[in-house]
Amino acid sequence: MMMSSWQMASTLMLGGSMVLLFMGMPVAFTFIGINIVGAFLYMGGEPGLVQLARSSVNSVMSFSLTPIPLFVLMGEILFHTGLALKVIEGIERLVSKVPGRLAVVAVVAGTIFSAISGSTIATTAMLGSLMVPVMLARGYAPTLATGPIMAIGAVDMLIPPSALTVLLGSLSGISISKLLIGGVLPGVLLSIAFVCWIVLSVKLNPALAPEDDEPTVFKGWDRFSYLFKYVIPTLSIFALVVGALALGWATPTECAALGAFGTILLACLYASLSMEAVYKALKGTASISGMILFIILGATTFAQILSFSGASTGLVQFITGQELSPGVIVMGMMAILIVLGIFVDQVSMMMITLPIFMPIVQSLQIDPIWFGVMFLICMQLGLLLPPHGLLIMTMRGVAPSSIKMGEIFLAVIPYVLMSLVLLFAVFSWPIIATWLPALLG
Amino acid sequence: MMDRISKAYGQLLTGLANLGFLLLLVMMLIIVADVLLRNLHIQGLPMGLAWSNEVSEMLLYLIAMLLAPWLLRQGQHIRVDIVLQALPPYVAWCIECLGDVLAMLCCWVMAWYSALSTLRSFESGSLNIKTLVTPEWWSLCPLPFIFVLLSLEMIFRMHRLVSGPKGPRHDAVSAS
Repeated sequence: MMMSSWQMASTLMLGGSMVLLFMGMPVAFTFIGINIVGAFLYMGGEPGLVQLARSSVNSVMSFSLTPIPLFVLMGEILFHTGLALKVIEGIERLVSKVPGRLAVVAVVAGTIFSAISGSTIATTAMLGSLMVPVMLARGYAPTLATGPIMAIGAVDMLIPPSALTVLLGSLSGISISKLLIGGVLPGVLLSIAFVCWIVLSVKLNPALAPEDDEPTVFKGWDRFSYLFKYVIPTLSIFALVVGALALGWATPTECAALGAFGTILLACLYASLSMEAVYKALKGTASISGMILFIILGATTFAQILSFSGASTGLVQFITGQELSPGVIVMGMMAILIVLGIFVDQVSMMMITLPIFMPIVQSLQIDPIWFGVMFLICMQLGLLLPPHGLLIMTMRGVAPSSIKMGEIFLAVIPYVLMSLVLLFAVFSWPIIATWLPALLG
Repeated sequence: MMDRISKAYGQLLTGLANLGFLLLLVMMLIIVADVLLRNLHIQGLPMGLAWSNEVSEMLLYLIAMLLAPWLLRQGQHIRVDIVLQALPPYVAWCIECLGDVLAMLCCWVMAWYSALSTLRSFESGSLNIKTLVTPEWWSLCPLPFIFVLLSLEMIFRMHRLVSGPKGPRHDAVSAS
C-alpha cells in the first residue's frame, strides 16, 4: 500500500528521530540531523537549509526560556553553599515521634528543596547520599530508606520552580506562569500522600523502621531555632518566586532572576557563599541548562517542518477522525508518554510528542493547563519507572552497595502507584490542576 | 601529538564555558536591576531598563552557544543509551562511531549554511527591529563559529573513542 505524503513525512521525521535517538546520538544532534534532512526535503532544498539556521537562532533567543538556567541556579546555590544541610537539620529537629521519622524528614525536606531547586537529580542525589546511610545505620529497611527519596525527587518536577515546566510551557505554548502554579497542588498532594504512606506502612509493619531513632530529642527553642534560622528564610525564596508569579507582579523570567538573586543573597547572609561555591553552582547550572538550550535549537524547526510537510495536520486529522471521545484521546496520549518515559529522557519526550499533541489539544479544545499538568505527572513517572528510571539510577549511584537493585525497584513501586492514582485523579477531576491557575485569572 | 592538541583545545572550550558562566550572572543581574528599577522608583535612576528583555534573550543564546562545545567535551549532551548498553560492546562501539560521523556531518552542514545565512543577511542589510534595532547578522554570526568548534570537537571525540576501550561511552542521559 502506498503511503500518502503526510505519512511519509511523519515516518521520516518521527521514525528517523527515534532511530537516531536509540543509536545513542546526543539528543541535540539527533534533532539537528533530522531538521537538516526535513528542511532540505520539505522547505525547498538549499533555501530551506539557510532558513534552518535562522530558525535555530530564533528558537533559543526567546525571553520565555530565560527562567531555565535561573531556576537551576537557585537549586545549585542551595546545594553548593551547604544551606540544604541546615534545612535538613531544621526539619529533623522538628519532626519527632512519628513512625518512620527519617523517611518523613526526607519527604518534607525534599518538598522544601523542590520549592527552591529546579533539578530532580540534584534533590535525589543530595538526599540519597546524606540520608540513606544514616537511615540504614539506624535500622531502617532499605526499601523505606530509598523509596521516599526517589519519589520526592520526582515531585521536584511538579513543584515550581521547575526548569522542565518552563520548557514544556515554552515548547507547547501553554502559559508558563499557569503551568508552574498548576503543578503546586498535585505536587503537595503527592508529598502528603507519601508521608501518609510511610506512617501507615511502618504502623502495619514495624520492622521497616526502628521504634526510637532520635539520638537527641530537642526541646523548647532548640527544637525550633533551625526552623526560624534556616527553613523559613529558605522557604521565603519560594514565597517570593511563586507569590510574585501568582500576583502577576513579575513574569516567570523576572521571578526566576529574583529567586536566583535572593538565594545568592541568603547564602551571603549566612556567610556560606564562597567563590568556589559560586563556580560549582554555575558549572552545575551550565551542564543542565546549556544542554537543554542546545536541544531547543532544533525545536522550532522540527515543529515547523512537521507542519510544512503536512505531517502534523495529517496525524491530527487521522486521530481526531477516529470518532474517539477527547477523554479517550487524552488517555491515549498519557499512555504514550508513560511508555516513552521508560525509554527516553524528558526533553526528548517533549520534542517528539508536543508537535503532534498540541494541535490535537487545540483542535479538541482541551484545557491546555489540565493537559500540561498531566504531561508533567507522566514525565515525573518516567523518572521512577523500572528498569531505567533516571532517579532509580541516581539512587543506585549514591546508595551503599549493600542495597540490591531489586530492593530499589521494590522501594519505588508504592510511589509509582500513588503517582498513577494522582494522574487518574487529575484526569477525573481537572480542578486539581486548574484551580490554582484559575485564581491567577 | 593528537592528545596534546586535544588538551589545548579542551582548554579553549573551558575558557568559552567560563565566559558563558559569567554571562549567566550578568543576565541575572540585568533582569534583577530592571525589576528593581521598575518597582522602586529611585530618583535619578531610569524607571527600568527597556532593553533588558532583548539583551537577556541575546545573552541566553550566547550562553547556549558558548557552552555547547564544552558540554560535548564533558559528555554532557544527553542521549538515550538504553540500546547501546544492551548490545554487545563491540557492536555498540561501531554504532557509536557511526553516530559520531553523522553528528560531525550535521555540524559541517550547519556551519556552512549558517555562514551562508549570515553572509546573505549582511549583504541584504536585514535588521532585527525591537526596542533595539540591530543588524540581523549580529545574532547569526556566532552560529557558524560554534558549529565549526563542535565539528572539531567531534574529531577529538572520535579519536578518544577509537583509542579507548571498544565499548559504548557513558555520557549523560538526562536533563532532569
